[in-house]
Amino acid sequence: MAASLIPDETRALVGELLSEPVTATITAKESQRFALAADDLNPIYLDEAAAKAAGYRTVVVPPIFLAWSLTPARRVSDLREDGIYRGGGRRVNLNVKRVMFGGEEWEFLQPVYAGDTVTAETRLKSLEEKDGSSGPFVLQTTETTYTNQAGEVVARARGRSIAR
Amino acid sequence: MSGQRFLDDVKPGDELPAMVKNASRAQLFLFSAATNNPHRIHYDREYAATESHPDVLVHGPLQGAWLSQFVADWAGPKGRVLTLGWQNRGRAFPERDLTFRGRVTAVEGDEVALDVWEEDDTGAVLMPGTARVRLPRR
Repeated sequence: MAASLIPDETRALVGELLSEPVTATITAKESQRFALAADDLNPIYLDEAAAKAAGYRTVVVPPIFLAWSLTPARRVSDLREDGIYRGGGRRVNLNVKRVMFGGEEWEFLQPVYAGDTVTAETRLKSLEEKDGSSGPFVLQTTETTYTNQAGEVVARARGRSIAR
Repeated sequence: MSGQRFLDDVKPGDELPAMVKNASRAQLFLFSAATNNPHRIHYDREYAATESHPDVLVHGPLQGAWLSQFVADWAGPKGRVLTLGWQNRGRAFPERDLTFRGRVTAVEGDEVALDVWEEDDTGAVLMPGTARVRLPRR
């Protein structure tokens, strides 16, 4: 049997937090900047009266924006050659050449409103070693839980990547 | 944006009206800015070529945001998107039509299950996904 792609010390990270929890207040301005950059003109994101008419307390944050709304500002000197910021947090080291992003699954449990303060916690959910047509690979799943200032879980996002 | 969708009018097999997107390079730049994403493959064509991409790429998250918009617009303002998931299968390029399509697969109580996907201008499926939506009754 070939050596595992998953070192023991990496396997021990399953279930653990991959970084310190991040907390931030989401402003209407940044949320609307995201919606408009995606050319999403849904009035519940843009207009208080329309949001209230649809049953919301005030303007809603596009739910997918949660994934970027909490990222802290970073230094230019933290950029790698490809333009990505050098990783903070714990590395998931695998015996592979490359990691490809595979997809996402979101559960939207409560609306997120402009002005909400949200905390994100990302854990390594699972590492599964599999055999594909082009050789063995690892299916890596992380799960981020988003909690608002009232302690309600507003969303969960699972991200899958394929490492080979 | 469409009007309100009601549960009473939805049945398995129904197709969602298609939504077409076509991103300019400037829109990609704006989306990079709005998400604080400095990854060069989205604005630096010469750099993208070094990673074997023939052009800059449309962000996976922008395609995810569009899929979310597609489902939320279909559901209407009083609809609620409960879950949304997708797989990233292929590259999407700017200045090319990207078409979002979907179909109702089941209606259970006040919840509707959807298959949704994004196609490029050759008809290749770039991003297959599923969603669950709660709709109001008339």
